[in-house]
Amino acid sequence: MSVSQAEAAGTGQQQHRLEVASVYKTFGSARVLRDIGLRIAPGELHGLVGQNGCGKSTLVKILTGIYTPDPGGAITVDGRALSLPVRPLEARAAGLSVVHQNLGLVDDRTVWENVRLGRFKAAGRFSRRIDGRAERAAVEAVFAKLGAQVDVNEKVGELSAEDRAAVAIARAMQDHEPGGGLIIFDESTRAMGKAARGRFFALVRSVIDGGASVLMISHQLEEVIGVTDRVTVMRDGQVVETGIPAKEIDEAGLTRLMLGRHLVTHSRIDSHAQPEVAAEVRDLVVRSVNGLDLDVQKGEIVGLTGLVGSGAVAVAEAIGGAREARAGILTVNGRNLTLKARRGSTEEFIRAGVAFVAERRLEQGLAADLSVTQNLTLPRVRSRGGRFRTGGGWQAEETAAMIRKLDIKPPDPHKAVGTLSGGNQQKVLLGKWLAGKPGLLVLHEPTQAVDVGARHDIIDAIREAAAGGCGVVISSVDAADLAVICDRVLVFRDGAVTAELSGDLTQDDIIHATFGLPGEKAGAQQTAQDSELDSKGVAR
Amino acid sequence: MDTARQEGSEVAVAAQGTGDAAASPPAGRRRPTFFPTHLTARFAILGVWAAMIAVYAGTEPDLFPHTGTFQTIFGSQYALVFMTMALMCTIVVGEFVDLSVPAVFGFGATILPVLVVNHGWNVWPAAILAVVACVLVGALNGFLVVKLHVNTIVVTLGMSTLLEGISLWMSDLNTISGLPSGFQRIALLDVGGLPISFYYGIILVLGFGYLLAFTPLGRHMRFVGASREVSRLSGVRVDRIRFGSFVFAGLLSGVGAVIAVAAIGGYNPTTSDSYLLPTFAAVFLGTAIFEPGRFNPLGTLVGIYFLETGILGLQLLGLEAWVSQVFYGGVLVIAVTISTLLHRRAT
Repeated sequence: MSVSQAEAAGTGQQQHRLEVASVYKTFGSARVLRDIGLRIAPGELHGLVGQNGCGKSTLVKILTGIYTPDPGGAITVDGRALSLPVRPLEARAAGLSVVHQNLGLVDDRTVWENVRLGRFKAAGRFSRRIDGRAERAAVEAVFAKLGAQVDVNEKVGELSAEDRAAVAIARAMQDHEPGGGLIIFDESTRAMGKAARGRFFALVRSVIDGGASVLMISHQLEEVIGVTDRVTVMRDGQVVETGIPAKEIDEAGLTRLMLGRHLVTHSRIDSHAQPEVAAEVRDLVVRSVNGLDLDVQKGEIVGLTGLVGSGAVAVAEAIGGAREARAGILTVNGRNLTLKARRGSTEEFIRAGVAFVAERRLEQGLAADLSVTQNLTLPRVRSRGGRFRTGGGWQAEETAAMIRKLDIKPPDPHKAVGTLSGGNQQKVLLGKWLAGKPGLLVLHEPTQAVDVGARHDIIDAIREAAAGGCGVVISSVDAADLAVICDRVLVFRDGAVTAELSGDLTQDDIIHATFGLPGEKAGAQQTAQDSELDSKGVAR
Repeated sequence: MDTARQEGSEVAVAAQGTGDAAASPPAGRRRPTFFPTHLTARFAILGVWAAMIAVYAGTEPDLFPHTGTFQTIFGSQYALVFMTMALMCTIVVGEFVDLSVPAVFGFGATILPVLVVNHGWNVWPAAILAVVACVLVGALNGFLVVKLHVNTIVVTLGMSTLLEGISLWMSDLNTISGLPSGFQRIALLDVGGLPISFYYGIILVLGFGYLLAFTPLGRHMRFVGASREVSRLSGVRVDRIRFGSFVFAGLLSGVGAVIAVAAIGGYNPTTSDSYLLPTFAAVFLGTAIFEPGRFNPLGTLVGIYFLETGILGLQLLGLEAWVSQVFYGGVLVIAVTISTLLHRRAT
């Protein structure tokens, strides 16, 4: 080890605080990380962005030793290679620490206990007790270094959001050598309000001023651009681009990188929309959305998009029956479904012809242990099967038809769904609902984390459903997808529809409308339309 | 690299996209499933069972290989069959440990003789009341767990202790016996050398197996056990199925209790406890048979007779009563470990 250190010192006048080189990770047959390379300079605030499922979390789990990377990669801190899998104690000695999404604090324990957790020293030789005074003094010193004023004897549960963050930061930085260390913030600001964030970033800055580096993972692009020095973008398990100076890029640019230019697998085709209404939503109140009306024509494909918390997702989930709304009525095939009622299952929705393709396919969509056939036919075993017999014929038929239509691989109806690749799982999930010939198909991120081929098949299948007269609602942040499939895109912001795009859609128009930036072409009409729509957030 | 951005990146991205398409198909098939391995995994316990019988037959040629031995093995486990199926009801829908099954069984098995012997009831209404009482306890368990979201272990552990206490009180800590002899026939009627209760067990297990494999209800139960959220979003009435499972578990415990009381001619409530480990051992052992990693009724039935064979053989060897504990405990740990490993390999 000393040799490599000497080498590094000899060759590099510019040594990296953290260097990740050719890290791969495979789960079963799925490769989730591919050739990850990342360099963070000392004293740098580095942002890492990417869509859900792009591999950010997997990378963090490798850096913290939860996952073992495939053999061959290297992770170096200050020129010293860490053994792989990363051993937590070694990582700590190297100054590498992580602040997780929920900050990892124990609410009913004091600040000093939380900071020292996992580091308590037994003071007495025989009593092995914890020397509270020494521990508290050590914690106070850390806070002094951080420039934060927190009462170390207070229970963490009683602290404000920003003080809680300070505690988490103190815990992460306490082992740092002067002028060293790296803290990874994994979506740490998610639960913080605007004001708390301001103080949080001031603390992060003071950590940086002490010579440490920070890797900040965040979905808030605006924030990433505002506070970081450089940004790395990941997509589909790969680093798309690394070390982009934050000053030279804007949110739209980052989004474009995150989503990528998919291969143009589909050209826009004529709408299948018919003049007949497939589904009506009236007075939907859910999350930040307050009174939305929406009509979906038969054969029409409507996209819902917006930033996190804009309400687009909540609307889709409420219409699909997955989320309980505060008010609202959905009419499909002449049946009125109240969106407010508390219900144990979506049975009513399914009988009315509503199908909901959930985002998290293995938590909400499919049971990994059960077979393709069992998963695919689940919503209909009762209606199509006899009371005392599910009946094999229709199941085999349905499954075979969907395997053919969606090109599910391997084409084995008895294989456990969990053994399929992500793209094929997504196809099974889509097939599960398409086989029921729904009148309204609601999809949430239907092409997330699937490969190009699967995306092609999925888009084809959605279009085919629309051509057959099904009304389709797609909630997605993937502007490229929306531009390709949708007849109409509603852009949400803070619970209201701020733009309705239709006609010749382009990815850029959607991204601009999402971020509220003045668009190049469509922008002008859009803003004009905004104000009319704003009051009640509607469409058609 | 840092300099080539914005415009340049789009080209790079598109190129990576092509790479994706080219690279993913071969990654799809890495570890082909090897059929014979599967086969051996499924039937390994049957092999071990046969080997065990062979070893016992070899070491105890005078005692073990007799019809009587096998009559004992197959004719004595009816109570356990009902209890394992009761446990299976809730375990299949994902309620992991219903610890109250033996206690509910004991509760029913105490009510019946207490009513008949101490209070002079006719045996049939007493039997019905015993079953109804068990069903109500199941419903109460279900209500607490499903509607009030109380932890299953806590509810059933508490319920178990409570019912055992009540059973001991009802029976005055005594064995209650002296049921009318005709009542025995419902459990001990000889059919082809085995008591009729053996066939009840077989019918129950086959019925349960059929329910899980071939009926819409069984499919729904499997999915609720696999994922409540997936089931809910697929139109399955999750809570109703969970509640029903607890009620049905109570029913099976109650019916099993009536049959056991008929066979024994009475009941000693202090023995309920001794059923807990065998019930769990057999159900978990069942996950290593026929359908590796999955709770299944047929596997459980085999597990019951497998365990009884092992213990009976050891007892015939002259080993004392502690043997059963060592055997049940050991097999439980080993079998669950093996089935977990098999399952992990399969997925």
